[in-house]
Amino acid sequence: MPQLRDSGNNGPGATVERSPEFEGFARIFGVETEYGVSVTGAGRPVDAGQVAMTMFRPIVSRSRSTNTYLANGSRLYLDVGSHPEYATAEARGPLDALAQDMAGELVMRRLAAQAQEQLRGAGYGEHLRVHVFKNNADSAGHSFGCHENYLVRRYVSLEQVEHELLPFLITRQLYTGAGRVTDEGFEITQRADYLDEAVSSATTRSRPMVNTRDEPHADPEEFRRLHVIIGDSNRSQWATWMKLAVTHLVLCVIEESARLGRPSGFESFALADPGEANRAVSRDLTCRASRLRLADPSAAQAVLAADPNFDDAGGLDPSAGLTALEIQRAYLHIAERFFADHRDVMAAAMPSSDDDAPERPEHPEDPGRDGWNSLDRVFGEWRRTLDALEAGDRDAVADRVDWAAKLRLFEALHARRSGAIAQSKLAQLDMDYHDIASGTVYESLLRRGMMIRLLDDADARRALGEPPADTRAVLRGRFVAAALDAGAQFSCDWTRLTLTSPEHREAVILDPFGAAPTDDYERLMAAL
Amino acid sequence: MPQEFVQTHAQEDAAAQAEQDAAAVQSTAAQAETAGDALDSVLDDIESVLETNAEEYVSSFVQKGGE
Repeated sequence: MPQLRDSGNNGPGATVERSPEFEGFARIFGVETEYGVSVTGAGRPVDAGQVAMTMFRPIVSRSRSTNTYLANGSRLYLDVGSHPEYATAEARGPLDALAQDMAGELVMRRLAAQAQEQLRGAGYGEHLRVHVFKNNADSAGHSFGCHENYLVRRYVSLEQVEHELLPFLITRQLYTGAGRVTDEGFEITQRADYLDEAVSSATTRSRPMVNTRDEPHADPEEFRRLHVIIGDSNRSQWATWMKLAVTHLVLCVIEESARLGRPSGFESFALADPGEANRAVSRDLTCRASRLRLADPSAAQAVLAADPNFDDAGGLDPSAGLTALEIQRAYLHIAERFFADHRDVMAAAMPSSDDDAPERPEHPEDPGRDGWNSLDRVFGEWRRTLDALEAGDRDAVADRVDWAAKLRLFEALHARRSGAIAQSKLAQLDMDYHDIASGTVYESLLRRGMMIRLLDDADARRALGEPPADTRAVLRGRFVAAALDAGAQFSCDWTRLTLTSPEHREAVILDPFGAAPTDDYERLMAAL
Repeated sequence: MPQEFVQTHAQEDAAAQAEQDAAAVQSTAAQAETAGDALDSVLDDIESVLETNAEEYVSSFVQKGGE
């Protein structure tokens, strides 16, 4: 069990020294994605398991395991059920996390290309194609995930998460949902049909929407790790960035309320039945027809009554339930007010955040890197997106919201064919959209400027080679690179680096914010 | 820099650069197109997908569930 950080003064009067990041709103972000694998056009039968093992042969030959860490600090492994999985290295901001996630797609694409070549050469036929799906459901009703990890301060309780974060997580799907073609029609989310309980500290059998993990991979006296399971795998770069960025804003409000022992205001919007609300949100393409029942409508009523700016149109009636849009607006309102009071501290917690970064006038839609790191930009996108959805202007967000992009494409196809399109064809397009190895739909939308980019391919390649510069991923990445160069055997987990051969040596890296080498680390590196 | 188990770096990077240059030219052209035209171009691009057998493609993707 890792030790508490030692302040160096162990006398009876010693106070516990808190890490500098414990105060303020610094955050560690991580995204773990399980990918699906399929093969088409094979001359002989071959299944997903074989394809996945072929993909991972280079990893096994270098690490003697289907589980390894890369020189950018990320984890790459073959999961239960033959899911290639990639977990991003620790990042301090959503844009860095996005770059790392894109690096993950790049790794998978390269492994798939190699596997495809190998299988073709091994007699499976030259028309064999490997598909790698960054999505959440196969054709047979199996579901798998894209999970987010957020380091949160220890004093945030699981109960607070359930009441205050969950309504946000369920309703953010209005813009983070990837969309799915089902037998019953199109839905906004990939996963709503597969998720059960709201919150759990247990892990495997049931599928909760969010839980907190016992292993925070950090000092457990300071932090815990929030593991968000209710989230779709996104192709849209904006959606990946947005879900991390907006969730971070909500967490800042929740943490401060827990720190001060004051209500955040979010608790009034707790849902009576999160599972039911989740399914309702997923099925409502208007985003404003389904009314979600609140656990305590009078509490919501009181919050609205106390702040005239909250419901300036005067249309909200919590006793009848609130729509997903209305709940999102409530969160936006509270978060904006919070930001107005905590602007500097929040901005300081973001990497290279520059709220005064000039936008490039010739590309108003493209603020450049610093622009996407700006919290003002996050709020702007949040507001703009809710406004568009409320106005029924789905096309205004079809270049950034995955489910809207799919619907726009289906409508265009419908217009061209002027007739109904077979459900199986829509399902095929839906899957192709998520195929990062052999897909054509998303790739074409991107190439034709129909989906926006926050980062380019060079950024993804850079993120594959380099960890984020401001977290312990730096130390892990450097260790992995050195071990690979030296032909040494090694293993890692998130908090420990282990050299196994030519000698056995270990270093613990407990602080996720710590990019500077410790003495143990220097000794470990010296052995390489 | 260690070989991250891929020999295809150089080829892929060159191909990616060429595609990005092409995309840069195309996206300026795309700005001149209306969204409708661009969507038509997308439908042209994905013609090969539209013509393949959907049932086979879809049913080929079966996995066990993840976490």
